[in-house]
Amino acid sequence: MNKDILIIGAGIAGIQASLDLAEMGFMVHLVEQLPSIGGKMAQLDKTFPTNDCAI
Amino acid sequence: MLDAGRHPNIDLMAYSEVESMEGESGAFEIRICRKARFVNEDQCTGCGTCAEKCPIQVSDSFNMGQGTRSAIYSWFAQGIPSTHTIDAKYCRQLNGKKCGICQKVCQADAIDFNQKDKIVNLTVGAVIVAAGYDIFDPSRIPEYRYRDQPNVITSMEFERLLSAGGPTAGHLNRPSDRTVIEEIAVLEKKAKKSEKMLGKYEEKYKMVSERFYRAFQSGEHGDEKDSVKWADKYKAYLEIKSKREALKTRAERFSTAKNLAFIQCVGSRDFRFYQFCSGYCCMHSIKEAIIAHEHEPETRSVIFGMDIRAVGKGFEEYKIRGGNHSNISYHRGRVAEIRGGPDNHPVVIYEDTISQTVKKEAFDMVILATACAPGKSLKKLASVLDAELDEFGFLKTNHLQPVDTTREGIFVCGCAQSPMDIPESVSQASSAASRAVQVLMTYRKVS
Repeated sequence: MNKDILIIGAGIAGIQASLDLAEMGFMVHLVEQLPSIGGKMAQLDKTFPTNDCAI
Repeated sequence: MLDAGRHPNIDLMAYSEVESMEGESGAFEIRICRKARFVNEDQCTGCGTCAEKCPIQVSDSFNMGQGTRSAIYSWFAQGIPSTHTIDAKYCRQLNGKKCGICQKVCQADAIDFNQKDKIVNLTVGAVIVAAGYDIFDPSRIPEYRYRDQPNVITSMEFERLLSAGGPTAGHLNRPSDRTVIEEIAVLEKKAKKSEKMLGKYEEKYKMVSERFYRAFQSGEHGDEKDSVKWADKYKAYLEIKSKREALKTRAERFSTAKNLAFIQCVGSRDFRFYQFCSGYCCMHSIKEAIIAHEHEPETRSVIFGMDIRAVGKGFEEYKIRGGNHSNISYHRGRVAEIRGGPDNHPVVIYEDTISQTVKKEAFDMVILATACAPGKSLKKLASVLDAELDEFGFLKTNHLQPVDTTREGIFVCGCAQSPMDIPESVSQASSAASRAVQVLMTYRKVS
């Protein structure tokens, strides 16, 4: 049984899943198609319903 | 984002794609292609000198095509990994032309034009797909005239306009007005070049162009080669100048967009495209209207929708707050058509369901709340992973096991599963993570 995990996509969901698993002590391979991580959320200015900065 | 970039347990592979997968839950053999950036990730400091000096300008996809970036670029300023990438499609050097400016100016010596794609082979116990979604292309709805009307834009384009790091530094300048400003800048440049050329003649013949031209027109200078050329150049200069002045007078009337219309369900809840509700668009339209009002207190927004679906913690209160404090009005009804109006003001034609009459109104800018469309790359990925897609093209899941795909050991979260907002994506991601752990920690089959 291999204990590494592959996560495909480094948007908000992929990053959250990676951090959860990494914090639990698993080795995570996070693959992203674009040059930088962040996904669509990085393109947003603010988020609802608190108007917090998205980045 | 930063935490993910520097966590010792996260091996970050940006600018990479999964090529193939074999094996089964507990031991998947994965082949990943790390695409060549032509920039050494470890050496690049992200200073940006290369991007400043690069002579090639291309449309900036991070800003949804609004504004430009150079052929060597960082996806966005705070991007992680903080390294630059050369766009092989546009780079002069990589297309056989003479350039290499970035290599010369890079103090970290990070540019490597000989870099090749690298294949990485991994063995993993479980896979989580968080490949996201695509934004619906509203040009598929001809009556909304998305491509024809410059001031009809998508909500993501509007989001970039609102952002301080966006193409207008957060000012709501209308796209049609920006085109005019750009045209003026081009004419300015042309005029300067013209003036320089005329200056040469003026120096040679010790005469001001204007006086020469008057004399030439009255036939004083005959048709000597230089005279004809000079006269032609001066004529062209006058044309550029008058065009520039006309545009400048037009630009004097420009102001930021203060009268906004938001159109809901563009592509979603529409039987021609996607029958589902994308879930988050009502809320992001309200948010965008609130932020626009924060930027400019005179802003008035109208949100046109069949109904406003504010389902979520604190969402209904947010909607009411928008109506009370941010000058937003909610109009029930589906917009039938958007037409062009004078001065590039799009005219929205809709039915007012209270008075039961068809009305039309002109706005400064119209923002389309585009649907959450299944990602185009998801189809290829699903076939690589041998997982099934649902009727729309999202990864297929069972209602009682919403993060399990049809393939054992492969899980899904976020908009690759179905349309959802950020809080839901985050909670689903944690849920997919814990399902993956169950596979890794047990020898029993997960079902």
